[in-house]
Amino acid sequence: MKRLIGVLVLVLFAAALGFGQAKAVVNEWQVPFLNCLTGPIAAIGEFLEWGAEYAAKEINASGGIAGKPVKVVPIDTALDPQKGSVEMARIVKDSLVAMGPVPEPVIMAAMPIAVEAGMMSMTATTSLEYAQKFFPWTVSFLPPTEQRLATIVTAWAKEFPDIKQAVQFVVPYGPWPGMAAAHVKALQELNIQVLGQVDVPDDAVTFGPLVVKALEEKPDGIILVTHGEQAAKIIKELKNRGWKKMNHILVFSSADDAQLYSTGGADLNGVQVYNYINLDISNPRWDAFKAAFAKDHNGMAPFSLAPNYYDALYMIKEAIEKTGVTGDPSKLAEERKKIADYCANVQNFHGLLFNWDMKDGIPTNKPNYIFEIQDGKKKLVKEVR
Amino acid sequence: MPLPLYYYLSITAVNILMSWALYLPYRVAHLHFITIANMAISGYAAGYLVMSLHVPFGWALATGFILGGLIGYVVSRFIGDAPTFAVVIVGFTFIFITRTVIQNLPAVGGTMGMFGLPNIGGNPESHRVIILAILYAMVVVVGWLIHRFDHSRLGRAASAVFVDPDLAASLGINRKKLGMLVQTASCTIAGGSGVLYGFIYKSFHLDFFTFALVGIFMTVIFVGGYATLWGTVVIAPILYGVPLLLPSEIQEWRVVIYGALLILVLVLKPEGFITPRFVRSIETFLSGKRRKRNISLKEVT
Amino acid sequence: MQGFVAQVINGLSLGSIYVLLVTGFNLLLLVAMIIHFSYPQVVVFSMYITWIVLQLTGNNLVLGIAAGIASSIALNLLSAPLFQKVMMKRGEVDINSTMVLSMGIGMIITDVLSHTFNKGLPIAFPDQLAGNTPLLRVGLISVLTGQIWSLAVGIVAVSAVFLILYKTRPGRAFRAIAEDPNGARLVGIPLLRTGLASYALSGILGGIIAVLLAMVLGSASPGLGEQVAHKVLAVSIIAGLGNLAGGLVVGLILGILEAIVQGYISGTWSDAIAFVIMLVVILVKPRGLFGSKV
Repeated sequence: MKRLIGVLVLVLFAAALGFGQAKAVVNEWQVPFLNCLTGPIAAIGEFLEWGAEYAAKEINASGGIAGKPVKVVPIDTALDPQKGSVEMARIVKDSLVAMGPVPEPVIMAAMPIAVEAGMMSMTATTSLEYAQKFFPWTVSFLPPTEQRLATIVTAWAKEFPDIKQAVQFVVPYGPWPGMAAAHVKALQELNIQVLGQVDVPDDAVTFGPLVVKALEEKPDGIILVTHGEQAAKIIKELKNRGWKKMNHILVFSSADDAQLYSTGGADLNGVQVYNYINLDISNPRWDAFKAAFAKDHNGMAPFSLAPNYYDALYMIKEAIEKTGVTGDPSKLAEERKKIADYCANVQNFHGLLFNWDMKDGIPTNKPNYIFEIQDGKKKLVKEVR
Repeated sequence: MPLPLYYYLSITAVNILMSWALYLPYRVAHLHFITIANMAISGYAAGYLVMSLHVPFGWALATGFILGGLIGYVVSRFIGDAPTFAVVIVGFTFIFITRTVIQNLPAVGGTMGMFGLPNIGGNPESHRVIILAILYAMVVVVGWLIHRFDHSRLGRAASAVFVDPDLAASLGINRKKLGMLVQTASCTIAGGSGVLYGFIYKSFHLDFFTFALVGIFMTVIFVGGYATLWGTVVIAPILYGVPLLLPSEIQEWRVVIYGALLILVLVLKPEGFITPRFVRSIETFLSGKRRKRNISLKEVT
Repeated sequence: MQGFVAQVINGLSLGSIYVLLVTGFNLLLLVAMIIHFSYPQVVVFSMYITWIVLQLTGNNLVLGIAAGIASSIALNLLSAPLFQKVMMKRGEVDINSTMVLSMGIGMIITDVLSHTFNKGLPIAFPDQLAGNTPLLRVGLISVLTGQIWSLAVGIVAVSAVFLILYKTRPGRAFRAIAEDPNGARLVGIPLLRTGLASYALSGILGGIIAVLLAMVLGSASPGLGEQVAHKVLAVSIIAGLGNLAGGLVVGLILGILEAIVQGYISGTWSDAIAFVIMLVVILVKPRGLFGSKV
């Protein structure tokens, strides 16, 4: 009896984990999306998911991909590498292509599985430094850090020639220290003295000590390489201690999220932030996207990364249609490679906000923008290429 | 072997081993969270040895065990007989220190992590077979050793210390030595598990070793049963596997379900699902059946 | 010098947060013999309730604060039977069971906050509640109303709790039930009513702490409770479990220590260094610097 129960349990698990027969040809493109739908960044995961689902709706409304509808299959990894790895292991068996994972710890655990299986999984929200470890089975949506950030910070500093000395607040997370180093290099090339780096603990609750440390150096400019919520609190603390030149504070792109605005409120007015998404661009697709996002999110403007998986799904669509991928399971390996090769070197891809090229998985001509925050909205200051 | 099954089995094995690494010190009422730091230290050390110094995996794994054991031994010299709270603080301290040191060490990848650990055995298939083999060999060996410990004088001494440390001391039990033994053993297990954990993913990232793991392993021990090693064996696969089978609408609330399960078990079955009495009844049942079978065979012959 | 003074003030502000939380933590320990590891999460939950009521009532402070206190009392009373059930041993603190139970409660609270309130995003309190008005600003030195309130109330709370528990009849009754319920019943103390009152008292304090934290921090996030839980436990252990005055002193010292380390060494090392120092202390004095009261 015990043996029977044991066998039943094993069969149940094995079946659930994909031990079954290969699926027959289906009449729908299923694109699994490994995302963080629960846990500390669930809100951001929801925005990314929304972008992908919206793209799917649009694509299906205009005839689907090569005549077949597309379905985004959300898979929650809950920021848990243990879960992420098993879920990726499940999908590599039959899936043509996937999106995600999000964020970096799950990428580290799950992407090696996709690489080994020879399946592209588009990590559209991580830095090049992470993505390139898994080339050619993913692409980067972000250009090389040093080159991109040097251009942005230079443009910012040139707007304010009175910045002679600067301090950076940096959280030691993933590629952020590397980004901070790129900022420093750019500032030094402008003969701006970088007075020091204030390390921000990940679990800091108050920021008075760190802000005092920074202000003791008497900087003229401040760059924040922290989480959005922390950036907002640091800015409030700076204001409390008499910092007046709000546009001499530059917040980096990864902090440009809903947490920055929900925590910072009106205290952010005048602060500058850089990103590669400009919400004020107008084109029919983007306008429709913004309106739909606002409708589903109580009037909120789209989160800056929301278009990424929208674009990722469209890139997959283009890859399938242009390379003649059929979805035939017997050609899985070959068609996976076709999609990966196409995406790595796509030319003049029509993204939601702008067109760009890929060369060997790296975007080559994406614009960057510097904004000034006013009343919770970003006003474009400069486009930087 | 299907890939999902490999990941499920290998991660379950790590969860079992790490839960046992917490179970052992808990036999003397110590919540020894330093094991999480051990996982990270040994894992990163082994990763560095393999990636940068091209040391064979076997030696790197052995180093992981030894390093874990050494750290456990040195620390236990100070906290072998310390109150539970001191042991908890030691654990937290080591987790914070370990994370901070690793963040600031470019040699092991710093905040980015360590990528591209090589396949053991030269190809992915051999890698998986070897990892699983080592993991389940560890499960068997460690399980056997813990079983022997539990059924030995040392195990009974540990039970006495758990119930009443002062009485145990007055009965002549050397609490410090016993504490040192279980803590060193637990850290050794954790060290080896940390190495294997990273080699399952073929990468290391600091967020693989967070306080969240404490929650997972504590849930396994307390829901499974903290008074016997079998609870971990039964509950670890279920706690990891069942959420994978749930529909996504329910999976969303996974953590709430874990928390509620933990509370329910503590309130209704404080010793956990698998209690020593339950284990004894199974053992009696099995030996009873065996005795009946032997008797009937004897009658026939 | 100015910088150093500013850091000390920062440290006192941070320390006052620890003092408030440790006081609530110690109160539960003294009246119910439970180690509520996730007490900070309960407080954060009350902060969220306060925020929701403020949103719904157009920033009506009285209603918001009342809602925060009421939610804290409710959570305490709801969890009371659970804790009482797992207390296997009387006469001594069963740290392991109650700590694990409270971890379960904390997991639920954090996940519910991540899922439901404000889509899991941090919440910001309105200016009327956030104590951002500067009382003193000299160069780098800044003292805000919220900081003064939290420090002052922290000291008052410790004194009030001490007085209630050690100098009043109800307080003695609370402690009697916690230490020996059978003995308490024998001398005529009504167990149920008194027990509930003790949890309610702890709930009131929790609600007040939630409001003060809203003033000091100005915002909250689902993970806020977890971020401070380890330190609250550590402060209580270093000071001596249940030692109210010790918790006050150690909480403030830890706050100042963290501020000094962040200001003069490195922010990322502040946790590690703070814990190492606490570790050394506890190895030398396992029952805490000021002695345990349980």
